[in-house]
Amino acid sequence: MVDMPAQNPQRIVLPPHRERARRPRIVRLREWARRNLFNSRAGTFLTIITAAILALIIYGVVYFVFVDANWRVITENRWLLFAGGYPMDQEWRLWFSVMFVFLLIGLTYGTWASLGRRDHLFIVLASGFAILLLAHGGAAIWSTIWYLIAVGLLYAGYAITIRMPREAGPGRTLQQRSVAGLLIAALPIVLIVLLAFGGARPRELEGFVLNLVLAPVGIVGGLIIAIPLALGRASRMRAISWTCTTYIEVVRGAPLLGWLFVALFILDDVIGGELIVRAMVVLAVFTAAYMAEYIRGALQALPHGQSEAAHAVGLNQFQSMQLIVMPQALRISIPPMVGQAISIWKDTTLVTVILPLRELKGNADSAIAQFEFTPDRIEAYVFVAVVFWVVAFIMSRISQRVEGSLGIGER
Amino acid sequence: MAVAAGGAPPPSSEVPLLYRRGVRRLLTQGIYVALTAVVIGYVYTSLDLREFGFGFLSEPAAFKVGNQWLTDVDGVTNSRITMYLVGVWSSLRAVLVAIALSTVIGVLIGVARLSSNWLVAQMAMLYVEIFRNTPLLVQVVLVYTILLIGAPLIENVVNVGDFFFISNRGMAMPWPVPDSGFWGTPDWFVGVWVAALLAIGFVAQRVRADRQGRERETGQPHYPNRWALGVFAVGAVISFFALGAPVSIDEPVIVGTHYIEGMVMEPEFTALVAGLTLYTSAFIAEIVRGGIQALPRGQTEAANAVGLSGYQRLTLVILPQALRQIIPSVTNQYLNINKNSSLAYAVLYDDLFRVANIVQNKAGHALEMFFVIIVTYMLISFAISVVMNFFNARVTAQRI
Repeated sequence: MVDMPAQNPQRIVLPPHRERARRPRIVRLREWARRNLFNSRAGTFLTIITAAILALIIYGVVYFVFVDANWRVITENRWLLFAGGYPMDQEWRLWFSVMFVFLLIGLTYGTWASLGRRDHLFIVLASGFAILLLAHGGAAIWSTIWYLIAVGLLYAGYAITIRMPREAGPGRTLQQRSVAGLLIAALPIVLIVLLAFGGARPRELEGFVLNLVLAPVGIVGGLIIAIPLALGRASRMRAISWTCTTYIEVVRGAPLLGWLFVALFILDDVIGGELIVRAMVVLAVFTAAYMAEYIRGALQALPHGQSEAAHAVGLNQFQSMQLIVMPQALRISIPPMVGQAISIWKDTTLVTVILPLRELKGNADSAIAQFEFTPDRIEAYVFVAVVFWVVAFIMSRISQRVEGSLGIGER
Repeated sequence: MAVAAGGAPPPSSEVPLLYRRGVRRLLTQGIYVALTAVVIGYVYTSLDLREFGFGFLSEPAAFKVGNQWLTDVDGVTNSRITMYLVGVWSSLRAVLVAIALSTVIGVLIGVARLSSNWLVAQMAMLYVEIFRNTPLLVQVVLVYTILLIGAPLIENVVNVGDFFFISNRGMAMPWPVPDSGFWGTPDWFVGVWVAALLAIGFVAQRVRADRQGRERETGQPHYPNRWALGVFAVGAVISFFALGAPVSIDEPVIVGTHYIEGMVMEPEFTALVAGLTLYTSAFIAEIVRGGIQALPRGQTEAANAVGLSGYQRLTLVILPQALRQIIPSVTNQYLNINKNSSLAYAVLYDDLFRVANIVQNKAGHALEMFFVIIVTYMLISFAISVVMNFFNARVTAQRI
């Protein structure tokens, strides 16, 4: 290898890593395999065993998906799984919300990050999955078209915002503020579209729609409660810090199922209202306790000099909190907060377990309760798992991108 | 005002009463306490507390609690609180098994994610991404469904040599049962033997410490772990036979559509433990990976330089240091396992939460029952924290 340049005296000799990159692809591939797969006898053994296991898994999955499984349980029950009891003649409200959210995702990516090759690949794959699902049964053409328009909006929003200048300036500030404003207003807007002006009644929110409503309400509501809670816990006033600590520890002491039990049997007397509203309150109250702990951790991680400097330039307690401490603390706490958001997203399935609320998993239970589909239970649950996985993956992906562009972890 | 906030407090006569720090704090807290009292008062008056009390727990239960192991408590004659404790034992069992399994698998996967073998690393990543991002409830239910549909009916049970059975009613296997031996009753034998084992364990611990000390002094290998294990094993066997070896093996038998005798691992238990293990081990794997990656690269290089093998490098250099960062986060995961075990409800495994729910259905008293549930979970969490803090103290005792 060392004497290779000597065979061709005219050739310019490059540094070793460039020299390696120059060799034919097949040689590099072999080299890579030797280094990463067959680096020792034990390594080779490990590779063979793992490859065998992988082959078995792939065979099993392919056999299940294409031969064994009966996916009609999903395609025939599409409306049941996704919207459940939502009034069918109001379907446009659902599609409008989907388009709005897709547009928002495009705007967010265009403003604070950019779509890489992997993101495009993921969008194509996820869209393929969605269209596969939509292109069966009734209204197949229209729902496919609506979906494609939504993806088009995502790319349109992205294309517009990505072309705007990124340098700091009044235009950039305006762009950031308006997108952030839309993000903050997104949840109320979607709720109004779904429920107000002749839309559904709250109890008609079912299936996947219910998951998609419960999780953001829990996350946003939790964050709103968590900030004062974290400040209260860090406060030097004993009465305040003790009650906040008690709240946090008691809420974290019992499982979410326990708190949903409270929503069902005890909150009825205290706040009344629809069950779904009580479930939302419980989700927010539960999430708040965990988020408050993350914010408190971030507050502690912030150097004391920050608030001292704020006082030194004459800001009062409130201003220093609002302008100096909180923005930095919230930025530090974004990664664990996203973890908590994903966790709440997955935990929305729990409302099915004790409450008579039917979200996606609950309606999958209803789907397989039909006589025709009782043998297809595994298919139904695998489908539910995949849907949850896709959304959780999108959440973690967006947060990674936004974290990267906000420079979290750097000072 | 700005001066008062930052510098030394000026003489109190100059500052108006309302602007003094002490007065302000007192006022704020006063208002706060008043508001809290109003909220609590509202909640208190809106709850129906006329029949509040825990007397209903001592009435006869009148329901069956399944999934019992080592116990066979009958719900007809026993009180509700007894049956609840049976449920607590079922929860504890699932939690302990899930903690052990998810720790082992989590560490393996976490180390595998950093493997130099590309395929192994990718497989580990796939494992983590799949099990971390799907709801635990769906995992538990899916495993349960697969066990019910995938396993054969008990009529065509998989029979391994007439002592090991697999069917959709679970796995049945032989299980040792204590006899009376020299000591009157089986319970006496178990008590005496456990006491003997504790004493032998103490001796083994002393041997280990002694050998470790000599190893440190002389630099020659004295094999402390092997010696300790050997002493314990020999002691255990000798004491077992000295007590008359009073154990009979209980082999499972199928009668009709049920297993009797032996140990039966029901699909509910397996599904719950498998779900908890898959889910939590993915999180533990990420924690382990983070802990290892946080170490400076020089540690690995130094271990290589002194000629340690890959396994020695991991167990003697990397993991002991990474544990400092790993243990607090892993403790959190253990607490999550404890709370998530309530998902037993979804597969009808009779854990504490489900039994509490049954009691509530029979007797009402939701508030009291919730109080009991939360106190139980907190006690278990507290026990886990105490044990893990003990480990943490041992790991961080040596300063680096």
